[in-house]
Amino acid sequence: MQAMDDAMRLFHSPVNRGFYPLAEQTTTRYEQARERLQRFIGAENQASVIFTASATDSINQVAQGFLLPRLKPGQNVWVTRMEHHANYLPWQYVCEQSGASLCIIELTDTGELDLERYPEIFSDSTAMIALTQTSNVLGITNDVKAICERAKQKNIPVLIDAAQALVSNIINVRELGCDFLVFSAHKMFGPNGIGLLYIAPEQLNEVQPVRLGGGMVDFAADSLADTIWSEAPHRFEAGSPNFVGAIGFASACDFVESLGQANIKAHITELATSLYQALSHYPNLHVVSSARHLSSGIVSFYHDVIHAHDLAQIMGDSGVAVRAGHHCAQPLLRHLGVSSTLRISISVYNTNNDINAAVSALEYAQKVFS
Amino acid sequence: MSDTQLYKAQLLDHFKKPRNKAVGELTTMQVVKRGSNPRCGDEIEVGFSLKGNIIEPIQFRGRGCSVCIASASMMTEAIIGQPTEYAKIMATEMQKWIAGEDVNIPQMLKPLEAVRHHPARKKCVMLAWHALIEGMEESNV
Repeated sequence: MQAMDDAMRLFHSPVNRGFYPLAEQTTTRYEQARERLQRFIGAENQASVIFTASATDSINQVAQGFLLPRLKPGQNVWVTRMEHHANYLPWQYVCEQSGASLCIIELTDTGELDLERYPEIFSDSTAMIALTQTSNVLGITNDVKAICERAKQKNIPVLIDAAQALVSNIINVRELGCDFLVFSAHKMFGPNGIGLLYIAPEQLNEVQPVRLGGGMVDFAADSLADTIWSEAPHRFEAGSPNFVGAIGFASACDFVESLGQANIKAHITELATSLYQALSHYPNLHVVSSARHLSSGIVSFYHDVIHAHDLAQIMGDSGVAVRAGHHCAQPLLRHLGVSSTLRISISVYNTNNDINAAVSALEYAQKVFS
Repeated sequence: MSDTQLYKAQLLDHFKKPRNKAVGELTTMQVVKRGSNPRCGDEIEVGFSLKGNIIEPIQFRGRGCSVCIASASMMTEAIIGQPTEYAKIMATEMQKWIAGEDVNIPQMLKPLEAVRHHPARKKCVMLAWHALIEGMEESNV
């Protein structure tokens, strides 16, 4: 907050657009924020680190700018049953535009990816694999590194949606071996309205910019054929950059690393386990999160009788903030056979008192509807 | 505990013992219209028949949160036996009231008062009403 306040008060001027000292300082700070994000994910260079409006925006850039121009009828694009709409609809769109097929990796009985059921994933017919690292509904964390390794043997590009995974996992894109990785600041205590797109160096020239405008072109000719885009990352950042957001994003990296992802994970796992155990004592509650995947801090469930919105409302009135609904994952909820679930997300700021408050609020809701 | 008093006794009573709620299909009704809220998965089907211009009977079925079910139940009680002109006016007034306007609505709908302070739940209240409006529009009454 302090960093963003300073950015607004002391350095608020155009990025990459001014030659006066204040504007030069702003540009420097914006690029320093990029360098901070580069270190945070272990990217090879700053050209691969692109600021976007959100993780959703990042995925759309890849779907439209990378996949669509090369996607052919008969090819397959694989996503998973547990995807957020952000990592589902953009692929569905490009598949329908090009005549390719969107294929879905279904889940096992325990909610994990049933990879062995689909040996054709890692075949020449696959044009792309896009999957979440951690499900925003189930909390399940996928072995994305293993998938990247298998995909690499067949030269299949992989996009990882790491939005839900970053706070409690150290992510190194070089170790993962992914082609694309996306996440957003607001999932790691940063501001809304800014996200990141990592593009592996060898793919940078394979991606066409989707958003066109100021700051992304070196030579704007009379026809697009003669137009020369700027070098990456700038050619993917049309328009005035979100300077304040980038500063807040970089500070969020500092904050997360100052706590330590391993410490965060340990804290979250302990509390989520307590909550999971407490909820399993209520026969009317059905927990859809897996006991093996509580390190994400996500505990989702539904009630036999009480609608998730009613539960969330009563818990909210009791000072317990939870999410209810389909969590932008309708394909997954259809698979689960429910229209909405209630999600309690444990984070670094929660304590055992919060777990007790959540359980008490649930008990009160059951009393109201008894 | 609930400062907002959303879950008043009358609302919960309509949720737990919904009036004019059909168990099976609404096949005996002349007009049937379905409304759904994809954001929360609520689905309500409203069916009614006409005796001249009088709505009778009127039933609903479906699934939803307590506000959605209670509102549908109250709506059927407010509308049953009333002329279609009254139902149209009442539906319009209900929309205005839920939007926060100061209009008079029948006493039997007043338990929904607290919803006016919860923007996220307004769609829950209006789901059955919208189905009724669309049903009347499609049947040209």
